[in-house]
Amino acid sequence: MSSGPAIETRGVTRVFESRKGFLFREKSRTEALKGVDLTVERGSIFGLLGPNGAGKTTLTKILSTLLLPTAGTALVLGHDVTRETDWLRPRMGLVLGGERGLYNRISARENLRYFADLYGVPPEARERRIDEVLERVGLIGPASDQRVEEFSRGMKQKLHIARGILHRPEILFLDEPTIGLDPKSARETRKLIRCLVTDGVTIFLTTHYMFEAEELCPKLAVLSKGRIVARDTVDGLRALVGGDRTFEAEAYGFEDEEVARLRAIPGVSKVVSESYGPTTRLTMRVRTTEATLDDVRSRLTGHPELSLRERRTSLEDVYLDLVEEEAR
Amino acid sequence: MAAVGTYSRGRSTAASIRLSLLQFVADPQWLLPSMIAPVLFGLVSFELFRGEGPYFLTYAILGAGMMSMWGQTLYGSGWATGQDREWGTLEPTIQAPTPYLYVVLGRVVWNVLSGLLGGLIVYVVVVAAAGGPPTLPNPAAFALMFVFVLLTLAAVGVVFAAFYVYTRYAGFIQDIGEFAFYVGTGCMFPVVILPFWATPVSLFFPPTWAVDALRYLAIPGYVGFSWGVGWDIVGAIATTAVYLAVAGLIFHRVERHVLEEGNLSQY
Ligand SMILES: Nc1ncnc2c1ncn2[C@@H]1O[C@H](COP(=O)(O)OP(=O)(O)OP(=O)(O)O)[C@@H](O)[C@H]1O
Ligand SMILES: [Mg+2]
Repeated sequence: MSSGPAIETRGVTRVFESRKGFLFREKSRTEALKGVDLTVERGSIFGLLGPNGAGKTTLTKILSTLLLPTAGTALVLGHDVTRETDWLRPRMGLVLGGERGLYNRISARENLRYFADLYGVPPEARERRIDEVLERVGLIGPASDQRVEEFSRGMKQKLHIARGILHRPEILFLDEPTIGLDPKSARETRKLIRCLVTDGVTIFLTTHYMFEAEELCPKLAVLSKGRIVARDTVDGLRALVGGDRTFEAEAYGFEDEEVARLRAIPGVSKVVSESYGPTTRLTMRVRTTEATLDDVRSRLTGHPELSLRERRTSLEDVYLDLVEEEAR
Repeated sequence: MAAVGTYSRGRSTAASIRLSLLQFVADPQWLLPSMIAPVLFGLVSFELFRGEGPYFLTYAILGAGMMSMWGQTLYGSGWATGQDREWGTLEPTIQAPTPYLYVVLGRVVWNVLSGLLGGLIVYVVVVAAAGGPPTLPNPAAFALMFVFVLLTLAAVGVVFAAFYVYTRYAGFIQDIGEFAFYVGTGCMFPVVILPFWATPVSLFFPPTWAVDALRYLAIPGYVGFSWGVGWDIVGAIATTAVYLAVAGLIFHRVERHVLEEGNLSQY
C-alpha cells in the first residue's frame, strides 16, 4: 500500500451554470465550492459538516469522480480524480443515499448482484459477499429478497450502504449515511463505519448530526458557502471558538456593565445574550484553566433568580459559532 | 488489503441483459409494447395491405414487424438510459468502473431479443389472419436478413442512448425525431416512394439499407434502390460500422461531458 494522504485537494472550485427557460434563456451561476484545500489521512474517518447548500455533496461527488471540478486539483489515494478514474473507481465506494439510486422493481439482492458485476467483484465470491454486506447493514433475511419499492426509507438507506461496501473499497464516501435510519440502525451503522476503519478503509463522511461527527470523526472540517471555515480535531475546534467550556447565566435581564465585566474575565472569550420572554440568557465560551464559575458569579451581583450552569462546549456550539461567524 | 476487482466488459454486458430481463418480468407495463402492440400492428397492417398484389402478406408482415421492432429495439435502448436518469441509478452506474457503453450494449442485446419476439408475434398474427403463410422465395436468407435489420436498428439505438446520457431532454428530441426517422428509414413504405430529398437523408441510417435488402429478398419483383440487394447489404454494414464507431467515440466524450455539467442526477 502506498503512503501519502488519502485525499488531498488544492483550490477545488466548482461552478454550476444552469439555464432557465427555453426561448428566453436566463443563465444562473452558482459557485458551490470556492477553493477548497483539504488533506485527509489514510485509515481515518474524516467528517465534513456544513449548512444546507454549503457544497458537501458537491465535494463528495468531485472526490468520487462523479463531477469534475471547474478549477483546482484533487488527489484521492494519490491519483487525480479527473484523469485517473479507471484506477480510482474500483477502489472507491460511494453512498449518496436517499430514495433514488436503486432499481425499485427488483429485489435488494438483485440490485447488489448487478452492481457486484459492474464493480468486478470476483464471480465466485459474489453471493458470499452479498450475504456478508446484507448482514453487516442488517438487511439479511426475507427483506433481501423483497422488491426495493416495498422498502422503507431506512431500508433503502441500508441498501445504499451495502452497495457502497460491496466491492471492498479502500476509500468510502458517505454523504449523510445515517439519514432516515432509526436510532438503533443509526448506531449500528456507526459501529459498521468504525469496523471498516479498523479494516483499513479510509472514510470521508458528511453529516448534519453533531454527536455523530463527534463520536466518529477524529478530524473534522466545516464547510460554509463553498469554503472550509475550519478544520481540526473536535478539541481543536473548541479552542478555535474560544473555549472547551460553556457557561450559561440566566436571569431577569443583565446590565450592560455586567456584561462588560464578564467579557473582561481572562479566559472568557465570547458572550452572547439572548432573550426568552422575561429572562435573558448569557452564553459564554470559556477556557477551563483560566475562568471559573465563581469568577463569573462574583461579577454578577443583585440577581435573586440567577441560574448559572457550566457544561462542556458541544460540537454543535462550535459548529453554530463557526457558521454564524461566516454568515456575518 | 482486499484485492481490487477488475470489471470485465462481457460480464457487465451480461449483467445488463440480466437486469433488463428481471425488470421485464417484474413489470407488466412492458407487456404492452412488447407483446400486445405487435398483435395490433399485425392486424392493422394486414387490413391495410389486404389485396394489394400477390405479396401483400409479406408487405404486411414487414410493415408491422418493422413498426414493433422500431419501438423495441431502437427506442428501447435510449429509453432505458432515460429511466436510469429518472431513477437516479445513472450516478452509481457511471461511478462503477465499467464504462457505461457496456451497460447500454447489454440493453441493446436484450432489445434485439425482444424485437425478435415482436417480429415473431407479428408473423404469427398475420399468418393466422390470412389463414396461411406467405410465399417466401428464400426463407433462410429472409430470416438472416431480418436479424441483420435488428442489428442495424440496435446500432442506431446505441447512439440514441448516448443522447440520453448527455441530456435529460433526449426523450423530447427523440419523440420529435421519431416520426421523421421512422418514415425516412423506409420502415413502413419503401423509401423510393418518398420525396426525392428524403432518399439521401435516409441513407445515413443503417436500417434504410437493411430494410431495402430485406424487401428484395422477400418480395419477387420488388423495386427498391436501383443498386440492388448486394450494395444494400454493403451499405448497411458500412453505415452500421460507422454508427458503432461513433457510439464508441462519443460515449467516452459524453460521460466526460456529463461530469463537467453535473447534470447526472437531473431528469
Ligand atoms: N446540478 C446542480 N446544478 C446547479 N446547482 C447545483 C447543482 N448541484 C448543486 N448545486 C448548488 O450548489 C450548492 C451546493 O450544493 P450541495 O448539494 O453540494 O450542498 P450540500 O452541502 O450537500 O447541502 P445539503 O446539506 O442540503 O445536502 C447549492 O447552492 C446548490 O444549489
Ligand atoms: Mg448534500
